[in-house]
Amino acid sequence: MKLEPGRPFPDLDLPDHTGRQRRLSEIAGGDPVALLFSRGWWCPKEQRHLREVTALQDEFEVAYARIIVVSIDAPEVQAAFRAGLGARFVFLSDGERRWLERLALLEATDTVHRPYRPTAFTLHPDLTIHAVYDGYWYWGRPTAEDLRRDMRAIARAVRDDFDRA
Amino acid sequence: MSELPDGAADLAFDGHELHAGAGPGRRFMIDARCVQGTPVHGAYAHVCALPDASAMLEFDQPEVQQVRRDALAWWIGMLGDALVCLTTLALDESCYGGAITVTREPADWRADPFARIFPGTVVRTDLFCPVTPPPGPVLERYAGVAWPGGRF
Repeated sequence: MKLEPGRPFPDLDLPDHTGRQRRLSEIAGGDPVALLFSRGWWCPKEQRHLREVTALQDEFEVAYARIIVVSIDAPEVQAAFRAGLGARFVFLSDGERRWLERLALLEATDTVHRPYRPTAFTLHPDLTIHAVYDGYWYWGRPTAEDLRRDMRAIARAVRDDFDRA
Repeated sequence: MSELPDGAADLAFDGHELHAGAGPGRRFMIDARCVQGTPVHGAYAHVCALPDASAMLEFDQPEVQQVRRDALAWWIGMLGDALVCLTTLALDESCYGGAITVTREPADWRADPFARIFPGTVVRTDLFCPVTPPPGPVLERYAGVAWPGGRF
């Protein structure tokens, strides 16, 4: 499965942080998406990066865009982590690593947790990939400005009234 | 109230009971998905609204934004599988008249964030069906359909 700009991202089906079964397309709900694959709550780099992402959630909400985080943590662990962050966006749990294997996003260097390799995608509302960020090294992750730039580009492409001049 | 936008349904509340469509009481618009499936019989609806026509705020008021943020942050998670659905009560494209949280069993209604705006009344009802809870965002859409319904 090639996860490259211009290709469709698969419509993940996973339980969310409350344990309810969700689909990626349903959560996207017709809006642009920042989809973040995360190692888990225990990783200090994830904690730091998700604090930065959480600081963006007010902007995403008023701008009709979505943030979605996927990790191998159990839903109840995600719920606690999410509450600690003060996040209002959805976490999806892949404890069985079902999608991790299909997406080929295993972090091979961590043989203890077998987590997702930190990877971020920005997606169009129809789940077409706009950009990919390999966050194995922290600096590879999207910054707030990267996400703003991508959301602006996607919104410009999908909102008919974006450029009103 | 103008004609119903796509995705909206009528609901009336007289202070004690809920009525589908234009029944007795004050008329609101709700997210239509909440009444379009197989209803949960004997559900508990916490109606945080008043029949008085003056009980209204603009959706863009910070307190209305914040109660919906609280719903996303912890109210929905706290209700867990007991949640059937929730919807705000829209009066028109810009005015908030309240909200309803529907559950299969009684909940700790004192914690309902929507009750911070208008006080809650518990009503037994057969009107509402399960709807997957919203992931956000908290703003109304152009269509003016009650949150969490509505799309561009």
